[in-house]
Amino acid sequence: MTKVKMETKNLNLWYGEKQALFDINLPIYEKKITALIGPSGCGKSTFLRCLNRLNDLIANVRIEGEVLLDGKNIYDKDVDVYELRKRVGMVFQKPNPFAMSIYDNVAFGPRIHGIKDKKELDKIVEWALKKAALWDEVKDELHKNALSLSGGQQQRLCIARAIAVKPEVLLMDEPTSALDPISTLKIEELMVELAKDYTIVVVTHNMQQASRVSDYTAFFLMGKLIEFGETEQIFLNPQKKETDDYISGRFG
Amino acid sequence: MKILKQLDKFKIATLPAIFIVFLLFVLMLGFYFINALPAIEKYGINLFITNIWQAAEDPAKEVYGLAAPIWGSIYTATIAILIALPLSICYAIFVNDYAPKKLKHPLIIISDIMAGLPTIIYGIWGAFILVPLLRDYIMKFLYNHLSFIPLFNYPPLSGYCYLSAGILLGIMVTPFAAAIIREAYAMIPSVYKEGLVALGATRYETTKVLIKYIKPAIISGLILAFGRALGETVAVSLVIGNSFNLTYKLFAPGYTISSLIANQFGNAILYKYMTSVLYSAGLVLFVIGLVVNILGLYYLKRWREYVSH
Amino acid sequence: MSHTKHKTIRMIKDKIFLIVVGTLTLLAILPLFHIILSIFEKGLPIVMERGLTFITGTLSEGGIGPAIVGTLMLTIMATLIGLPLAFLAGAYAYEFPDSFIGRGTKMLLQIMLEFPTILVGTFIMGLLVIPMGSFSALAGALSLALILTPYVAVYTEEAMAEVPRIYKEGGYALGCTRAQVIFKVITKMAKKGILTGILIGMAKVAGETAPLLFTAGGLYEVYPTDPLQPIGAIPLLIYTLVQSPSPQDHQMAWGAALIMLLIFLSIFVPIRYALKDDIKL
Repeated sequence: MTKVKMETKNLNLWYGEKQALFDINLPIYEKKITALIGPSGCGKSTFLRCLNRLNDLIANVRIEGEVLLDGKNIYDKDVDVYELRKRVGMVFQKPNPFAMSIYDNVAFGPRIHGIKDKKELDKIVEWALKKAALWDEVKDELHKNALSLSGGQQQRLCIARAIAVKPEVLLMDEPTSALDPISTLKIEELMVELAKDYTIVVVTHNMQQASRVSDYTAFFLMGKLIEFGETEQIFLNPQKKETDDYISGRFG
Repeated sequence: MKILKQLDKFKIATLPAIFIVFLLFVLMLGFYFINALPAIEKYGINLFITNIWQAAEDPAKEVYGLAAPIWGSIYTATIAILIALPLSICYAIFVNDYAPKKLKHPLIIISDIMAGLPTIIYGIWGAFILVPLLRDYIMKFLYNHLSFIPLFNYPPLSGYCYLSAGILLGIMVTPFAAAIIREAYAMIPSVYKEGLVALGATRYETTKVLIKYIKPAIISGLILAFGRALGETVAVSLVIGNSFNLTYKLFAPGYTISSLIANQFGNAILYKYMTSVLYSAGLVLFVIGLVVNILGLYYLKRWREYVSH
Repeated sequence: MSHTKHKTIRMIKDKIFLIVVGTLTLLAILPLFHIILSIFEKGLPIVMERGLTFITGTLSEGGIGPAIVGTLMLTIMATLIGLPLAFLAGAYAYEFPDSFIGRGTKMLLQIMLEFPTILVGTFIMGLLVIPMGSFSALAGALSLALILTPYVAVYTEEAMAEVPRIYKEGGYALGCTRAQVIFKVITKMAKKGILTGILIGMAKVAGETAPLLFTAGGLYEVYPTDPLQPIGAIPLLIYTLVQSPSPQDHQMAWGAALIMLLIFLSIFVPIRYALKDDIKL
């Protein structure tokens, strides 16, 4: 039996008066890929952002319920949110490299978390870029501005940047939706590779992607978790009618 | 044919207005140039690089040099910018990142009121309240304890001086620069901020990176604020002390081009060359102001184009 | 151990940063409160003491009546002169944003917006006051009109640019001419923005001093009636009174500043609040 790395318990979320998530209970298994699927506006991205408390940035968001990381509620008062975000990294929909060199982008996280030694940083940067399958393409131009990279390269840089702080969980919010098919394929291969060491949660619009890469799939609809299970079961043998309708393309 | 007719009607109505606006501008530039010419011909380059003010009924004995007011304009505007720089950036950061939702609008409206407040209001407050305050609590202290630093070793007798003018201008132009910087800061796409926060960066670490994105907007805001400070007249003329003093000493009374014009234009008619000298001073202000504002607007435009892509 | 130490330093830096940012923000806005309080403290006693006389009386009676009327007249005259020019120039800049003249117009208007106002005053003095041989309300109003025009024009252009394209297309589809589309359809849609521009422009010129220094002349013992005769204005009066050595004059100046402040705030604050939703946050 695989270990549960993260788990939400009766998670509810409101934007002001409007409730966006209803009683979500979802386990996230260690070193597996969990895909969150559902039509736009169903709350899957909102849910993802609860896992590293990124919703804290938005005014008048209210959260009830628990999000456990290794059994500890990350919304507890004594939780260090900066430490939490170091343990739970994130890759965004639109590649968002900072306006600095490739090297500095990857080294940014380790630096703020206290690594100053140049040799150690060099090692981490090389390791992260290799992990993100970008090293061979950029190793001779590490000090070039990151914004000069192609879209697919930028996204892999963002993955390198996220794993450079050695997180335990990696959240990915539609990481390939802004990319061409070849770059998409590369990122997908990378996800499977990374899942050997990391717990990955990926939000995707792309059903094929979910079925190709994920071990577990959760289907969201209008802020509710409709169905959760092993990917194979969800796609081949959904228990709920809504899931079946969505997967067979009858709505969304 | 019909389309041509339609085009004409709009243009017939608007083009005269455009013509008048351009004409007024050209007329003004020409006017300053022509009226400045007699003084420039008589005194040559000395008019701009020497510091002398000798009015005389005998035109042969009239000698003028505008170095002190030109210096004063640039010096006080520079002091103003040095004050506006940290204040406006911190204001922008505070309003965007820290202020609770209920405080945001009031803070923005307060700043807008300050930007639009009649300058004479700043003038009367500056002359009667700010200057005595600065003299008694800051200048005297600096003069008594730190006068070995040349900046501070002019006795602050009245308090009406370059520093007072610079500080008052700084207060006046801060909201103006702040509005430009705040808007730019709010326009940074949230993905950049989220990317930083998701790595575990603190607010300070996040802001340090984000502020670099809006460097062009900060520069343009400060350049335009500098232009404003250069052109400001009545508030400055009430606190600067109005004397010809070519010095960097902060507590010395001085002149700026605009306060010189405000003070001397009224009686310039009594002398043959003084009016022309003042128009020369105006021409200098005209040209510096033009260059500064075009530069500031250029940077602002470039930034807006960069953001919209 | 070193990790927690690093963490503590980061948190301290973050706290210091918040304190610095908060303090400097406070410092940036504090002067406004100090100004308002000072003006009330110094100006209110004299206004209360003189009562209605302060608003209606002449200077020797202890009032600033002629200056108030002067400011009102100058502002209205400046608006009447500047408004048509500004509206047409703004409409042109809106309609031809990419043409050479259109771009030049917009650039010029923005430059004029930042132009040192004292230079406008001395320009009008040479152009009008010296040939006419006298200061006049007309000269003062013309100076102010030159300052008002770019404000109103830029606001007009921006307000029109915010009208969705479909209204323009809809107008043309009905067979309207370009003049009809812009002066009727677009102007109507952009009414709120244009009106705001006019009011902000008026608030701006009502508070101007420098352009009046050598054009309006000043008139405080009788009410102004003739546009070709000198005229007074509240800011101009304050400027004169502040420079006087007499403490009584200073008192008058504070009282006048209070009236000026109240006029400004009563125009400016409601407009600003009405525009609250347009603020980009």
